Amino acid sequence: MRTFLVKRLPSGLLVLVLASFLVFLILRLIPGDPATSLAGPDAGPEAVAAVRGRLGLDRPLLTQYVSWLGHLVTGDLGPSYAIGGQVADLIGNGLGATVQLTLGALLLVILIALPLGVLGATTRRRPVAAAVRAFTTAVLAVPPFVTGVLLVLLFAVTLGLLPAGGHESLLDQPDLAVQYLLMPAVCLALPSAAVLARYLKDGMERALAEDYVRTATALGVSRRRIVWQHALPNALPPAITVLGLQIGQLIAGAVLVERIFAWPGLGQLIEQGVIRRDYPVVQDLLLLIVAVYVTVQLLTDLVYAWLDPRIRWE
Amino acid sequence: MTAFTTSSAPGVSRRALLRGGLAGAGLLTLAACRSAADTATSAASGSAGPRRGGVLTVGAGVDFTPSLLFAQSANTLVQRLVFNTLTRYDDRLQPQPELATSWQVAADGTGVTLKLREDVLFHSGRKFTADDVVFAVKNLQNPARSAQLRSTAAAVTDFRKNGDFELTLVLAHPVSNLFDLFEFMIIPDAVSVEEAVAGTRLIGTGPFTLTDRKPGSSITFARNEKYWNPGRPYLDGVEIRIVPQAESLLSSLRTGQTQLSYSVRGKDVATLKDDPQFHIKQYDTGAGAYYIGANLTGEHVGDKRVRQAIAWAVDRERLVQQALGGYGTVSSAPWPKSSPAYSEANATRYSHNPDKARALLKEAGLDSITLPFAHSNEPGSTAVAQILQYDLKQVGIETVLQPTDSPTMQKQLISQTMPALWTLSHGFAQLHPATLAVSAYPFNEAKNSSRFSSPAYTDVVQKAWNRPDSDGAEAKALYQQITDVLLDEEFVIDLAIAGLVEVAGGKARGADLNKFGYLNLDDAYLTA
Repeated sequence: MRTFLVKRLPSGLLVLVLASFLVFLILRLIPGDPATSLAGPDAGPEAVAAVRGRLGLDRPLLTQYVSWLGHLVTGDLGPSYAIGGQVADLIGNGLGATVQLTLGALLLVILIALPLGVLGATTRRRPVAAAVRAFTTAVLAVPPFVTGVLLVLLFAVTLGLLPAGGHESLLDQPDLAVQYLLMPAVCLALPSAAVLARYLKDGMERALAEDYVRTATALGVSRRRIVWQHALPNALPPAITVLGLQIGQLIAGAVLVERIFAWPGLGQLIEQGVIRRDYPVVQDLLLLIVAVYVTVQLLTDLVYAWLDPRIRWE
Repeated sequence: MTAFTTSSAPGVSRRALLRGGLAGAGLLTLAACRSAADTATSAASGSAGPRRGGVLTVGAGVDFTPSLLFAQSANTLVQRLVFNTLTRYDDRLQPQPELATSWQVAADGTGVTLKLREDVLFHSGRKFTADDVVFAVKNLQNPARSAQLRSTAAAVTDFRKNGDFELTLVLAHPVSNLFDLFEFMIIPDAVSVEEAVAGTRLIGTGPFTLTDRKPGSSITFARNEKYWNPGRPYLDGVEIRIVPQAESLLSSLRTGQTQLSYSVRGKDVATLKDDPQFHIKQYDTGAGAYYIGANLTGEHVGDKRVRQAIAWAVDRERLVQQALGGYGTVSSAPWPKSSPAYSEANATRYSHNPDKARALLKEAGLDSITLPFAHSNEPGSTAVAQILQYDLKQVGIETVLQPTDSPTMQKQLISQTMPALWTLSHGFAQLHPATLAVSAYPFNEAKNSSRFSSPAYTDVVQKAWNRPDSDGAEAKALYQQITDVLLDEEFVIDLAIAGLVEVAGGKARGADLNKFGYLNLDDAYLTA
């Protein structure tokens, strides 16, 4: 396992370095600049130039890039340009909320996808199979912002059961926090749950069509035991890879869902950063997301290798 | 959850699995013993009249930008919660006391003597004195603060203190908009001003103290127990929630999670106005006047007949009804009705007359033209641009819409690199008219986004600004001359005056805005 990990690490680091360069460059290619935003709506060119000088944006791009990376390596994320405060504090404040939302959604993805996938592959009733298909198609087809608005209309505006938006910490007020979390987590989880359910269903169908299943059936092994003890473990590894990819999707989707539900997470922070051209905030955050993505992929590979010994002996 | 582990799997049926999943989801909600939907709308106890207690939740579409604390920007709700100003205007644009109790303007207009309150403390416990006024003026003179009224602050050349609570501001020349400066200028704490613009600490003399800020999410305040205004504020606290999405803001108002907002789109306000749980109030501030700007160096629009044709081509009535939900006043001049420069004749100088527009284009030797047309990529602004695009097309002016995000548009405005046409909204017409022509970038006589300049315009603006009075007969005659230039040259084609619209939920009472959109909650309270 250790050898397997050592082999995978350099490619992860290379992805991070490339991502840092791309993130830095793409931000500078977007029209508009932080100095203009900071100088205010009626500032003259002199005021804008003064702000640009103060932020060091008048230095060559390569110098700015190396300076940013240098600070990053030493753990100094620096101050935010426009939002106010230190970037590390801003990320720290938003991280808890985003982790809460992403983990809540991840839990729902598993809770929804596992029974749906198994049910879709094993049911002998056509209406049930059709219902599973229809549900996964529908939640894949409807974009999260539509789902979000519909959920708010139904559960907050019409029924008054859940708050329309906002956030409470799970640690401070767990009973209220769950209610704030429910709608955004469902909204974020549904598309990923549908993708995972489909993969699971396909995997289960393939596994159930294998010779050993026919042999086990002939030997009188119960259907339930075949499904849960033999077919599901064989269908899981590819599904785990997909789940790893879906975690990336959840982080990306959080930007939109956080906006809909006024959820104070990293998604809101990225949006604010982009709108105000707050380079340090956006650069550090995007790189953090890439790092999370790379780490999750690495962990997924490890779990996959653990489940399937053939992988680690390659 | 244990139902899904392989060790217990053999004992679990598919049905039980589904039941378990549903029950788990149900438990998540049933486990909660309080309702978040209800706790969000808690208020003070009791029934009629002002009462103490409760936390007011205000919904804002954009976050507060600390670096623009001393400038007019998209979110000015924080300024008057934490800070005070020297004076405040009433509805007739007459200054009323705040931190200044009285004032005496010199006969020649080159000085003003202020008497200050003696019972004011900063949130840090430090006493407010004349030195803080001196600092506030110098602070606005600093270009780094990006204050639009910097030119007026810069007219103050000397300070003469007479004790701790009286001082004279000496002016280089008379300025007719001195009290606009006093309405605009918040009094900060010199010790912590750099922390204030960095967004880490706000220390003022105002009714509320900052307790927490989550950028992009919320800003919370608690009552200042040592506030100089007796018995005020009534509220225990205020929470400003940042809700960028229009639909989400509307939902949070409908559910009572948010009790007050000035960020609701006009068409959304229209859906709330018949609902008895909402009180809707329109401020005649002219803080958001919709206009079409023309870059005079662009193709065709350098000819003022083309610009006048555009002014005749636009159906302002339809724009107000369809894009602003009826919350706006049709006007071809920038002034709201409360302005000393307002006149019905100026407001109605241009009306919807496509024939006149075509005739002017023909006179300019043009039949049909195509022009680039920039607009903010916000949904509301896009709707405005599309309505204008249709109107212009009817008279032979094709436009290519260029949706642009806010920072880019701002950069183009400042660097005078706008395309031939753009649409935005401007402020500063709600004050003394000279302020518009010396402080608002689209109209600035010295340098503006349209690249328009004329000695006649500069001359009349300087005359209107460099005078001690702001609403005498002579001043009004000068305002008319400014308006005549604007309506003839049409480098800024005004369309509609839309002041801020307050949407207050059933429980919120007594909120107010000053002329710069600073939220004043001294007298605000929540009913039971």
